Amino acid sequence: MRRHTRRIYNVCYRFVGNRTEAEDISQEVFLRVYRTLGSYRAAHGGFATWMTSVTRNLLIDHYRRTKRDRVTDSLEDKMPVVENKESVGRRPDQQALVNELSGQVQTALTRISPDLREAVILRDLQQLEYAEIRQVLGVPEGTVKSRINRGRIELAKILDQMGVRPS
Amino acid sequence: MTWTCDQVETRLSDYLEGLLEAPERAAFDEHVQNCAECAPLLASVSNLVSELRSMDEVELPPQLVYSILDRTLGPREKVSGWQAFRNFVRGFGAPKFAYGVASVMATFVILAGASGDSFRKPKLADLRPATVVRNVERKAARTYASGVKYVSDLRVVYEIQSRLRQEKELQVVPEENTPNSTPEKQPGQTDDHTNTQPRQQNRANELAREVELLAAECPVVFERSYR
Repeated sequence: MRRHTRRIYNVCYRFVGNRTEAEDISQEVFLRVYRTLGSYRAAHGGFATWMTSVTRNLLIDHYRRTKRDRVTDSLEDKMPVVENKESVGRRPDQQALVNELSGQVQTALTRISPDLREAVILRDLQQLEYAEIRQVLGVPEGTVKSRINRGRIELAKILDQMGVRPS
Repeated sequence: MTWTCDQVETRLSDYLEGLLEAPERAAFDEHVQNCAECAPLLASVSNLVSELRSMDEVELPPQLVYSILDRTLGPREKVSGWQAFRNFVRGFGAPKFAYGVASVMATFVILAGASGDSFRKPKLADLRPATVVRNVERKAARTYASGVKYVSDLRVVYEIQSRLRQEKELQVVPEENTPNSTPEKQPGQTDDHTNTQPRQQNRANELAREVELLAAECPVVFERSYR
């Protein structure tokens, strides 16, 4: 339960870039999964893939619903977030740099189109295989690869414009 | 084969993930080495992918799991003060709790017994550390002494038993050495066991010698009587 929650919350946070919204959507995901558990079939792929599909659908719904009043550069987006993996053992100055860089990458991520964003999140942050991403997004594998490629290039260009150069 | 910037951009991720064939890779490399726009783009995207893949997971809000459980399984039941107290008291009647209490009490009884405390006349002075230590030492000395005595008694008993067994074995030995009687054996005649009945053998030898002497001294009598 906790493992799934962590994964879903991370996907949501990376997509919306806002902790409160990510929390709300994560709850919606589990509620939807709980209600539609009977419709899950093993043929859809693994349970985690199916949950990711549900998450993706809700994220797209949320994106469409909030399209008008969305402010990309909200103050909350720039707030540093608490990250736990491999944080232990870093010096404070290193940790500050990592937090700053991941915050900037997160900001850039919310600026690319949702189609490209979700593809990049699933591939590079969740590290799913192409076949799994194809199942989640419901598009051919060629489209998946194309979106990932375009997403990365756009992200790199935005970071370049922001003066951020990951090394 | 020479690639354009568009081709390089389109296949950039394939190149990074090692999905290009050898000729494609060579063409890609050739273009990037000679293109002032594609080389920095390749470096940026490559670094970006490394950065994305090493990004830490966001910490989970502590209340999120409970919120999800509340929304899926329903809110947890809130009980009033009296009901909570009754539930608390009811918990004491659970078999697990009773078993735990019994185990703890048994442990205390055993420890107290080992320390030499008396349950019949409990005194506050018995709880003083010096008294407890003295009682424990006394109890240990008594236990040791009784153990030594028990072992000593056992040794005596075993010794007596082994001697009795030896005596019995000594009584049984002559009966076992008696030879079996044979029906065809004549009186006075012995088998090859000369050591078994020396008296009988001596008696037979003496009789034979006497008969020979008598025959030598009185041959007439002896000859007549045999005729």
